[in-house]
Amino acid sequence: MAEMKYNVPNEQWPEHPETATLEGKNKFVGFWTFLGGETVLFASLFATYLALKDSVPSSDHMLAADLFHLELAFVMTMLLLTSSLTSVYAVYHMRNNNFSKMQLWLAITVLLGAGFLALEIYEFYEYVHLGHTFRSSAFGSAFYILIGTHGFHVIIGLIWITGLIIRNATRGLSVYTAAKVNTAALYWHFIDVVWVFIFTIVYLLGVI
Amino acid sequence: MAELEAKSMTDTQLRNLRRQRTKEMRLQLTGFSFMIFLTFMAFGMVALDFNATFIMGIVMLFAFIQVVLQFYYFMHMKDKGHEFAKLFMVVGMFFAIAFCVTFIYIVWIGQPI
Amino acid sequence: MSQATAKKNGVWATIWEYMTTVDHKKIAILYLIAGGFFFVLGGIEAMLIRIQLAVPNNDFLSAGLFNEVITMHGTTMIFLAAMPLLFAFMNATVPLQIGARDVAFPFLNSLGVWLFIFGGIFLNLSWFLGGAPDAGWTSYASLSIASPGHGVDFYALGLQVSGAGTLISGINFVTTIITMRAPGMTYMRMPLMTWTTLVAGVLIVFAFPPLTVGLFLLIFDRMFGSNFFIVEAGGNTIIWEHLFWIFGHPEVYILILPAFGIFSEIFSTFARKRLFGYSAMVFATVLIGFFGFMVWAHHMFTVGLGPTANAIFALATMAIAVPTGIKIFNWIFTIWGGSIEFTTPMLYALAFIPSFVMGGVTGIMQAVAPADYQYHDSYFIVAHFHYVIVGGVVFALLAGLHYYWPLMFATMLSEKLGKITFWLFFIGFHMTFLIQHFLGLWGMPRRVFTYLDGQGYNAANMISSLGAGLMALGVIVLVINIIITVAKNQKVGRDPWGDGRTLEWSLPLPVPYYNFAQIPLVRGLDAFWIEKKEGNGEMLPAESLDDFHMPNNSIIPFVMSLGLFVASFGALYFASGKEWAIDAVADLPVRPWAFWVLVIGLAITFISMITRSFKDDLGYYVTKEEVLRDLEEQERGAK
Repeated sequence: MAEMKYNVPNEQWPEHPETATLEGKNKFVGFWTFLGGETVLFASLFATYLALKDSVPSSDHMLAADLFHLELAFVMTMLLLTSSLTSVYAVYHMRNNNFSKMQLWLAITVLLGAGFLALEIYEFYEYVHLGHTFRSSAFGSAFYILIGTHGFHVIIGLIWITGLIIRNATRGLSVYTAAKVNTAALYWHFIDVVWVFIFTIVYLLGVI
Repeated sequence: MAELEAKSMTDTQLRNLRRQRTKEMRLQLTGFSFMIFLTFMAFGMVALDFNATFIMGIVMLFAFIQVVLQFYYFMHMKDKGHEFAKLFMVVGMFFAIAFCVTFIYIVWIGQPI
Repeated sequence: MSQATAKKNGVWATIWEYMTTVDHKKIAILYLIAGGFFFVLGGIEAMLIRIQLAVPNNDFLSAGLFNEVITMHGTTMIFLAAMPLLFAFMNATVPLQIGARDVAFPFLNSLGVWLFIFGGIFLNLSWFLGGAPDAGWTSYASLSIASPGHGVDFYALGLQVSGAGTLISGINFVTTIITMRAPGMTYMRMPLMTWTTLVAGVLIVFAFPPLTVGLFLLIFDRMFGSNFFIVEAGGNTIIWEHLFWIFGHPEVYILILPAFGIFSEIFSTFARKRLFGYSAMVFATVLIGFFGFMVWAHHMFTVGLGPTANAIFALATMAIAVPTGIKIFNWIFTIWGGSIEFTTPMLYALAFIPSFVMGGVTGIMQAVAPADYQYHDSYFIVAHFHYVIVGGVVFALLAGLHYYWPLMFATMLSEKLGKITFWLFFIGFHMTFLIQHFLGLWGMPRRVFTYLDGQGYNAANMISSLGAGLMALGVIVLVINIIITVAKNQKVGRDPWGDGRTLEWSLPLPVPYYNFAQIPLVRGLDAFWIEKKEGNGEMLPAESLDDFHMPNNSIIPFVMSLGLFVASFGALYFASGKEWAIDAVADLPVRPWAFWVLVIGLAITFISMITRSFKDDLGYYVTKEEVLRDLEEQERGAK
């Protein structure tokens, strides 16, 4: 069984630990390829949403302009944008071979992400009370599948990063774990990229 | 797991590398504040009810700028070795625009073009 | 490690080895067996269709059963036969062609094959669990929402599971080709099979997510009460058509590009010439890949998108003919002046050129939108796409089977029986489908389960059915050929065709599980040929002989796929008899356990993912001593 060196001294820690091994390079290229696929996945969902926006069976259903609150969307955006920055800090400390700070910034990222998720659940809860549900209209279905798929990605991201914090707590930093952290950070940034388009296309263009 | 070539850095090299990373982190922070600024502007313009078509264009532009910043700085696309990443994202975005345009104009909503 | 397991011998040890394997060569064999099984299944369905249509007013199949058979024939052949068989050849050759010891993600490679197998089994279980899908392989939304029973649910869930496997394999191949090439193997030295796999991989990455979304919309509408395609609630069925063809058109290129790759290899090997216009071939491959995405609406000309939209998509479609034409001419120039050897694979390759060109030309005819109104939904279309898929892809699969068989099993299929298969299949193919062009132009519509006497369709349909019989005979001869070859088990040595040009033929047969004792140094295009002409016929090593690293076997991919298989049953029965369900399933008995089956299935998958993530899977080392022992043994064997 191959050995993996944990907690190497700073002088031997490579400049780009996440791609220092062939496995790390593979993960990096493979994950960007996957993100290419994710782009098209969300593009299809956005397109579906745009085609079905405000498409309701009768006039007593609420439309986008009646439903969306900009305040809530703004707070959610800020939370997610900040969490994207904190994961950059985590990667920065990972490259500097500073394990405890990396763990700390990852934990902060998880907290901010969880805050975002809580607000999203609250938002859904409110809409359902207003009669805007997954089953009420085509508009409802398209809205929940777009925002819901993004929310599902957030959940996966939270479980992923939390899992990394736990599994690495007893192990420390190596080129093996560094590649894992870098991949999770890329995923988290991509979630933020998708959210930028969601708040612009769904919320901002939804209310004007 | 192919092991590393145990290449040791000298103290000066290490210090330079650290300094370089701190400088980059400062750049990241600048990028972040710019992103926050763009978000403020976008939400502000919509809240202030400017002309709808004007806002639509500007807000979409802001979104794209923000995403480019996110890609180039936060996701390190400006670094070496990201040629394929760029290719995949550019192609993905191109398809995304194509899908959205067709789904708005040719799904039997309104007149056929 | 994997060595120790293999040495135990015994049937169960072998089965366990295949269930847990991460070796691309064994995964190729899994793809070949499963894909071959589904190919035969789809072929039987095709025979049923042709028996039903052989004579007018036939009652061999009922109308409903006929719909199920044509749906399953199309779906099985595209998703469960053609694509997996291509994956078999990609897995068998690409890592060897680029000089790698395995793919980039061996674990994901295994996950891909098991997802495909479980998805395929799930889809075919529909025959025994209340009826197969009957809305056509395109499953257009208005029809698929109205289709009673669970048939379409099997379609949506089965394709979702196997589609996930395909996406994973696509990512795996793209990464492998980008990062794992041997020293000297630049992009412009990669064999065409590798190039087409790369482009097909990229197409999979961009084409499968829209299918995933489309299938999810269908799943949610049919099983969870949403309204994407329910027009009364504001839904829009054109969305399905767009999403399906955004996937569906690139899918055609995902199938045909690797087929082009296989033929390119065969042409240059058996014409004993360098591939003519290599860089033009690469350029054409990439261009076809890109254009393939910009033409999906040509399947929807008659939907009523409007003249501007139709004109744009018609022009883009015609443009694809240019790079394809470049390829055809390059193949012809490759044969030109070559010293041709008429082996079975070469016969398929030579037959492919005129057959595929005929399919391509009818395609250009349909690209003219106004003319397409005439051809649409007639047997002309059936003839067209069978000329492309059978004349292109299936010919490539049969050629590839003969060509790569020694690489995969270290034995040779009988050339004599192979040629009999070829002639039966080739004549049968043209007999079946050439006449269908005319049937279409005479007005026979597609997807009808029978036709009346006295419309002038009788003789043509009979000829077509007889041709299908010949094709079936050809496949039976092929199966006999395979059985005889396996039973004889006459091993062949390195470079069995004698004219191998690319790296995979430089390896000893059977290929060692680590592929290369030393990673080779590549000095140009057709690396092995160069060493034969300029060196001593051995690849130069790019590294010294040393210990190297290989991945561990794992059962987790199997369990993960099993979890999704179980979960699919839960989702399938979830809406049965619920008051919010669509009419198609609202009257079926309620299944209270459905929700729990869904949860348990997803939990199995999720727990296996967590297990995988929390373990450090670092692989193991193959020692220098073991490799040296193997090399000595090979030398003794050669003497």
